[in-house]
Amino acid sequence: MIAQRLGTTALRRVAGNPSAFFTNNFAKLALISPLSNNTQTRPVTTQKLTPADGDSILAKQRLSRPVSPHLDIYDKSQTYFGGSIWNRITGSIFSGGLYVFGSAYLIAPLVGWHLESASIAAAVGALPFALKGGLKFLLAWPFAFHCLNGTRHLVYDLGVGFQRRTIVQGGWYVWGASIVGGVYLAFFL
Amino acid sequence: MASIARSALLRQTAALPKFSAATQAIARQSAIAANSVRATAAFHTTPQRALLPPLPQHVDGSVNDPAPVPATSPSHGSYHWTFDRLVAASLIPLTITPFAAGSLNPAMDAFLCATILIHSHTGFQQIIIDYLPTRRVPRTRKLFTWGLNAATAVVGLALYEFETTDVGITEAIKRVWSA
Repeated sequence: MIAQRLGTTALRRVAGNPSAFFTNNFAKLALISPLSNNTQTRPVTTQKLTPADGDSILAKQRLSRPVSPHLDIYDKSQTYFGGSIWNRITGSIFSGGLYVFGSAYLIAPLVGWHLESASIAAAVGALPFALKGGLKFLLAWPFAFHCLNGTRHLVYDLGVGFQRRTIVQGGWYVWGASIVGGVYLAFFL
Repeated sequence: MASIARSALLRQTAALPKFSAATQAIARQSAIAANSVRATAAFHTTPQRALLPPLPQHVDGSVNDPAPVPATSPSHGSYHWTFDRLVAASLIPLTITPFAAGSLNPAMDAFLCATILIHSHTGFQQIIIDYLPTRRVPRTRKLFTWGLNAATAVVGLALYEFETTDVGITEAIKRVWSA
């Protein structure tokens, strides 16, 4: 510890106040300096600035502040399987679908589309079983996920279940249950 | 000497502009070490990936002004939050009951439609508020906010049409699902 301090103080002194004496007595001075009560000199000069200049320097400094870390640095399972963002994604799929279907349904008579429930049901009924089941799963899984995870978030809103273990386990249970539920709704209902 | 090998000291030495002959000699001796330290320091710096580069900065008022605190508004805060949760929670029985009971009740169907519409609207609102901050994209934010209001009105009208001229949302889903 003391040896380290010796080196630091000595080097600072050299930088601030180079002299011929010092070059010859580096080791001696380094030993003396921490014991003596001399003030340190630093190679810093001050400068008078107007407030406007100061503001512009601050504005420039703010631009070189570090940015938030990229998503990639976090645990992958939390980044890509987080229930919260998937709740938003699945919800957006349904609400977006509803908004698109609603708008299309309104203009359908003008454009000549047939979006009545009977014609949609007939079109879906004409599809082969695998394709129909696949399409139904693509709707059923987000539905199951949004229901289960939404309930999970409502429970969180009561202030319950914030133990780390509960959160991690609950996330995986929702993924498993939503896939099982999606398969059931798509193929067995 | 252990002190000269200290990385912080080396970094200082490398950064200092002027040296006497003695320190230049020291600096030359430790030049390779200093380079490696600087390389390490660069390695530890957070990489700058300019996905969202900072906007042009300016100082409002003076640097010592406190951060502005927005006025409290329960209708935009806690009431809104509670209302959102009530809507979300009421969707659970509303979604399950018609399919479980197997009966078709037009009033309940209409209530389901309205609740889904409100839930969608507030959900999209939250997405807009989160991803389109006023500070960064004020005009885009306004455009999307009013676009959403218009879209919700259109979809509300469409759902009314669907409920009154077609079979209702529950029965329509049942038809398509069992097709």
